[in-house]
Amino acid sequence: MWQWIRFPLLFVIAVLMQTTVSKWIRVFDIGPDFILIFIVLIALRRGPAIGALWGFFAGFVLDVYAPVEWLGAHTLSMLVLGFVVGQLEERFLTLNLGMKIGILGLGFFICDIVYFIAIGIEVKELFNLLFTQTLPDSLYTMLCGGIAFKFIFTGNLKHKHV
Amino acid sequence: MFKITRFLKTISSIGHGLIVFMILFLLALLIRQAPLSIKNSIVSSALTTIFYPAQRLISSIDDFYGKSAENELLKKENAELRIEVYKAKEGLQELIRLHELVRFDDKWDYPIITARVVGRNPGRFLTTVVINRGINHGLKEEMPVFSMRGLVGKTSKVEANHASVQLLVDPNLKLSVMGKRTRAVGFLESVNAYHLSVLIPTSAGMKVGDTLITSGLGGIFPKGIEVGLVKKIHKADLEVMRDMEVVPFQEFSFLEEVFVMQKEPNWIVQEMLK
Repeated sequence: MWQWIRFPLLFVIAVLMQTTVSKWIRVFDIGPDFILIFIVLIALRRGPAIGALWGFFAGFVLDVYAPVEWLGAHTLSMLVLGFVVGQLEERFLTLNLGMKIGILGLGFFICDIVYFIAIGIEVKELFNLLFTQTLPDSLYTMLCGGIAFKFIFTGNLKHKHV
Repeated sequence: MFKITRFLKTISSIGHGLIVFMILFLLALLIRQAPLSIKNSIVSSALTTIFYPAQRLISSIDDFYGKSAENELLKKENAELRIEVYKAKEGLQELIRLHELVRFDDKWDYPIITARVVGRNPGRFLTTVVINRGINHGLKEEMPVFSMRGLVGKTSKVEANHASVQLLVDPNLKLSVMGKRTRAVGFLESVNAYHLSVLIPTSAGMKVGDTLITSGLGGIFPKGIEVGLVKKIHKADLEVMRDMEVVPFQEFSFLEEVFVMQKEPNWIVQEMLK
């Protein structure tokens, strides 16, 4: 039973944190992305297929609240994120905490690049946004993700995966 | 059930998830490329069936945090009032705030509906908030929304008891503004859901720190609502224009209460401009 509700529950927690906690802990308009942490976590633990599925679903949830003309952009970016990060699945690779945080940061950039391309941002503006928005947000997310990986999920990593 | 699970597992393991990815990728592309009317119906049905109930839960948690902070503030305020009761400091502040509200109402002569923000888009780029007023409270689409600090946006999708508010940073919201000092009219928009910018002729002599207000052109927003301050001025593609970065007076991340002006759009203005 726990197997079935664990990830939906984690997703609900991630969305709740993104819409409440994230707002409270923003500094200079820089905040973490808990939904992205969730997708990276799922992808690392369950592989590319499950990562892509959850990425698609989470992206769609974000898209519903984004400008309607951009519907599908978050879905695409989160889907790609889930699939790409899933290639580094923990079943086949041994990843230490530092590597996981690095993957989280890299995933953040991949996700944002796909998103900016999907909404049709110009190249000049894209680099500007990657530097002014993605970089600080990704650093903050890596910090929060590091804490999540270290204290919440360490115990479960030794479990056998299906 | 077991067979379906086994089938899904088999499919997902083929090509290390490549098939699942390709199917979902095509589906996402279809959504991305769908006509606007289909996109609207997808969003609308998702919002009414799943997301508004979920938003109630989220906003109640947010409320709990807000109430706790408010409670602390009130305790502090109470202590101050005990010491400075004769000054009636807080009462005076309240009076000033109410005066401002009354002025707002008089100035434009439209009924004002107060609303609480009960939801916001969960992404990093905040472009939409959900308020707890809808058709049942007299709201319609394209009504101006503002706060005590300045313009917030306009109502977009209006349901029975809820409405979405399109914020100024929504790239699909374009707004005619004017310099409060120079009276020069320009076009405010956000191209990336993050920065606000306005194009105003160089000859207008706009400076950093100038205040921008709504121009009243376009038919949706009445003239004179404060929008934001000019933060930086850049050269635009055309030499005769200046591209200005604008900081809105209202910080959208911390919106809790807003006012909706019951002003229906004056489409005649737009028709005459065609």
